[in-house]
Amino acid sequence: MSRKAENSQPFFQPEDRVPLPPKNADVITTCCDYCVMACGFKVYRWPVGTPSGGPKRDQNALGLNYPLRPGQGGWVGPNQYTQGKWQGKMHHIAVVGDHKSRVVNVGGGHSIRGGCIAQKVYNPQKPTQDRLQHPMVRINDLLMPVTWDFALDIAAAVSKHVIKTHGESAWAMKYFSYQYFENTYALTKLALKAINSPAVAHHDHPSFVNSVPGWVDIGYDIFSASHQDFAMADCVLISGTDPFETKTTLWNHWILKGINGNKTKVIMINPRHTAGVAYAEKHGGLHLDVLPGSDTVVHMAIERVIVENGWQDTEFINQWVANFWETDSGFGQGTRNTPWQWRTTWGKFQVKGFEDWKDWLLAQEESKVEVAARIAGIDPAKIYRAAEMMAKPKDNGERVKTSICIEKGLYWSNNYLNTASIGTLGAILGCGGRPGQVMTRLGGHQRGGVSGGKYPTWKSPYKAPGRRRHRLDLDRWLEAGHVRFAYVVGTTWIQAMPGSSALEDVFKRQTKFNPHQVRSFDKQTIIDTLKRRVDSGGMVIANQEIYLRDPIGNQYADIVLPAATWGEEDFTRANSERRVRLYGKFCDAPGEALPDWKIAARLAKKMGFTGFDWKDSNEVFEETCRFSRGSRKDYNAIRVVARRKGMRAHEFLRGFGTKGLQAPLLLDGNRIVETKRLHDYNRKDIPDSGPEASTIHNKRLLAFKTQTGKLNLVKSPWKLWADFYEFMQPRGDELWVTNGRINELWESGFDDYERRPYTQQRWPMNFIELHPVDAKARGIESGDLVSVESHRVPVQKDFNLGVKSDDMWFSGLMKDGHIELVSGAFSAIAMVTSAIKQGVAFTEFLKPSAPANVITPRVPDPLTMNYRYKIASARITRIGETVFKHSFSQMSFKRRDIV
Amino acid sequence: MSKQTNDTSGQSACMTRRAFLFGGSAAVAGTVLLPGLPGLEGKVLAAEVARYPRKRIGSLKTLQLNQPVKFNYPDEAQNSNSLLFRLGAVAGGGIGPDQNVVAFNALCTHMGGLLDGPGSFSAADQALGPCLLHQTSFDLTRHGMVIGGHATESLPQVLLELEGDDIYAVGMLGLIYGRYDNLNTG
Repeated sequence: MSRKAENSQPFFQPEDRVPLPPKNADVITTCCDYCVMACGFKVYRWPVGTPSGGPKRDQNALGLNYPLRPGQGGWVGPNQYTQGKWQGKMHHIAVVGDHKSRVVNVGGGHSIRGGCIAQKVYNPQKPTQDRLQHPMVRINDLLMPVTWDFALDIAAAVSKHVIKTHGESAWAMKYFSYQYFENTYALTKLALKAINSPAVAHHDHPSFVNSVPGWVDIGYDIFSASHQDFAMADCVLISGTDPFETKTTLWNHWILKGINGNKTKVIMINPRHTAGVAYAEKHGGLHLDVLPGSDTVVHMAIERVIVENGWQDTEFINQWVANFWETDSGFGQGTRNTPWQWRTTWGKFQVKGFEDWKDWLLAQEESKVEVAARIAGIDPAKIYRAAEMMAKPKDNGERVKTSICIEKGLYWSNNYLNTASIGTLGAILGCGGRPGQVMTRLGGHQRGGVSGGKYPTWKSPYKAPGRRRHRLDLDRWLEAGHVRFAYVVGTTWIQAMPGSSALEDVFKRQTKFNPHQVRSFDKQTIIDTLKRRVDSGGMVIANQEIYLRDPIGNQYADIVLPAATWGEEDFTRANSERRVRLYGKFCDAPGEALPDWKIAARLAKKMGFTGFDWKDSNEVFEETCRFSRGSRKDYNAIRVVARRKGMRAHEFLRGFGTKGLQAPLLLDGNRIVETKRLHDYNRKDIPDSGPEASTIHNKRLLAFKTQTGKLNLVKSPWKLWADFYEFMQPRGDELWVTNGRINELWESGFDDYERRPYTQQRWPMNFIELHPVDAKARGIESGDLVSVESHRVPVQKDFNLGVKSDDMWFSGLMKDGHIELVSGAFSAIAMVTSAIKQGVAFTEFLKPSAPANVITPRVPDPLTMNYRYKIASARITRIGETVFKHSFSQMSFKRRDIV
Repeated sequence: MSKQTNDTSGQSACMTRRAFLFGGSAAVAGTVLLPGLPGLEGKVLAAEVARYPRKRIGSLKTLQLNQPVKFNYPDEAQNSNSLLFRLGAVAGGGIGPDQNVVAFNALCTHMGGLLDGPGSFSAADQALGPCLLHQTSFDLTRHGMVIGGHATESLPQVLLELEGDDIYAVGMLGLIYGRYDNLNTG
């Protein structure tokens, strides 16, 4: 027998001792940089070469006696410790969940991602040593370090030339929507206010659009809840995500508190049987294991069971759902400005109150339980059970307190219809605005967007039938050759968009294959060359990043700009319960890296724009404050009160530590009044200091987000989706291939999951989960390497002007030749598990080296311009074995749903 | 504290490993990571052995399949709770003729939840967990790697040696939850 196992050693071997912060260590408060929960963290910093702390509470800065007791937070483990530079000198740095926190991560809880966030810190002796340090310009196809002025002079000169010669729509910005108020504000002030280009898109959409448009029409805010609501509900419906994996402390603290303390029953809609699903089932919950993209009919069937039994919340509907008069005749503008009117030609979505909607619902073939169950591939009994759990009155006649929360599996498959149908389900159940009865997104990245300018919708040439104008589809705009200068900030762009292989071909064509390539170090010659490139139809890319990305930076960018990030500047941001906190600076940025706001400001000034003279991030923040008024994260009160106290706004907010302030913030004299949840129509503490001054009392504080303040029920006609869905169904021996994030890799990939040996040990390659039956049919075992391949990935091409009603539906686009079928392929390590539904495979969403998006359709929802990332079909074929099949040191193939 | 010390003179297996790396010196601070050169697999373990006590924790003959045995290591102090397993599968670092005898500290490395209670060991999956606190689970055949959950390091593995029928704990991989140094309990 080989002694391979006995002699095995783990890929990542942590230290078995870690220095404790001494009593006099600097303590800086911050929050995690990753998922939308934004757990509170404390950073302890002390110089290398000075004594570390001792195990007694009066010997260390944690104030804790070591060893800690089981369950006690505040542990400094090997992955909570690193070293980094502060004021040019090496320091010990420990980043630890705030064990004194009473909000978000109560007691210092954390996820596997946030728990390791110390490893994000730039440390020249660790895997983060390859942070970008200097601006670079591509000369003879090599990125060469240059000075800031050299790089930005080129970027500014080419930008100005592009705007003057080709128009502002030829100047594009693709950027993160989330990476701190200061940065998103400065970037959009440049792109939208100064340049006023419509060619601007977030990291996750082709356009500047809303992710949950059904709720826009219905009137629900997407982050209306407080975390506490999840511990107060009788029943929580979670769709398109498992918070155990991807909103960890929401699960660990708040949802578990509900399940174990309040006997909350959790219903999960998810093709995967995840750890959270398994736990929910064990505690009286339910798993609706739907096929990808089938959610709408399941919602409709649940609604049918509810209304047929009369289980809807009639009292709520009478009070808070728009009736015939309110929808048809209207108050003032009535519903004329409700987006449903311009999503499609008239009459497809709006109803005249509850009874009208009910008649429509009951007339739909797809709302019949058996039909819906067949489409979704689930047991019909589960639909009845779900309806009972959510809506059947208790034995004592009381209503069940139900909350609904959604995430990307729901809204990135069938965007409009899924969000509209689940929103309507919430409306008839009385979800929204009451403790334990809320309606919310669970969230992805944190909420760090503030707009420094207004999006110029009127400049977009994209038009759909009726009188509707779509915001500019940046990917199609690029593909058509209209983008001549692209400012790409903090996103991979290519792998992050569907049909990414075809998209990469466009980048290649527009940059590398253009004959005008830089061959000289003379600045003016470089500028002239790049001007010739853009005038010949090519494109110049400036990529602002913390690491050199492949391929956007490494292969296609002409100018690379090194950005400073979390911990390297004072920043502010909100989380999923609208809690605004200061993220303190605690270490030096690597090399010459600068925060994004400062790079944008320098570029803007070199282009001749005014209004970018901020001295530090606090000045940017103070400028953003007034633009937050009336939004869900209205934090203007911070600036107002800070000024009255003679303080800087950042310093004032810093005083609130990891607790921060929960927005929207209202002012009662000098007192800041926080907001626990939105749509809180029973709320009594609204100050009567006027509706519009330092703060704006948005309607959504006490009502819903519509003209009338009441919820609009909307229809969700299945046939608007059916032609596309039919095309995307697996054919022959294809399987559904859906994708998503897992616990270890969620909203943390953008900095260093490829630089974290601990995570690489667990997930050394991209993986794909296959059901045992599907695996056996293909001769695949766990640990085998497989190819995932499709040659019919639909990509919407060309400039499309919709005239007739059906022009923009998938079949119309196909008929008119606007859909091109392209190829996509990636490899992955097979994990055979019954945790994935038969007929469906599941892979990681954004592994840069093997991106799932090569096979996802680049055909945005014609109603909303959201991509349908979670819907793909492909052939899966065994290539051979990976080394991990027989390794003991990397990769585990154990089932993840053990209970 | 255990009466065991680093003085293991006479224990030839251990000495051989230690001698290979450190020329017999036990005064080694921290862990030395070696590149995965052919023939050197496992030698990193020797570095960990160097500063740990050697303690007899059981016998191969009496260790039953899938019946974990509790012991304390590297001392008797807080959080030293450990488990010795004879698994139904070959395991990384496993000793014995079937390479299936392994041992781990029993505190979840997420928040210190105790994993040595009834129901914590899933024999069919050779897994420890899910932890009762937040459901982290660990793969005992892969050096305690996290299967799923929130822990920021693998379950600390207790390194074992076999001398005749006696199973000795000789070192540890990774830091025990709640400690800052495995060998210092303040």
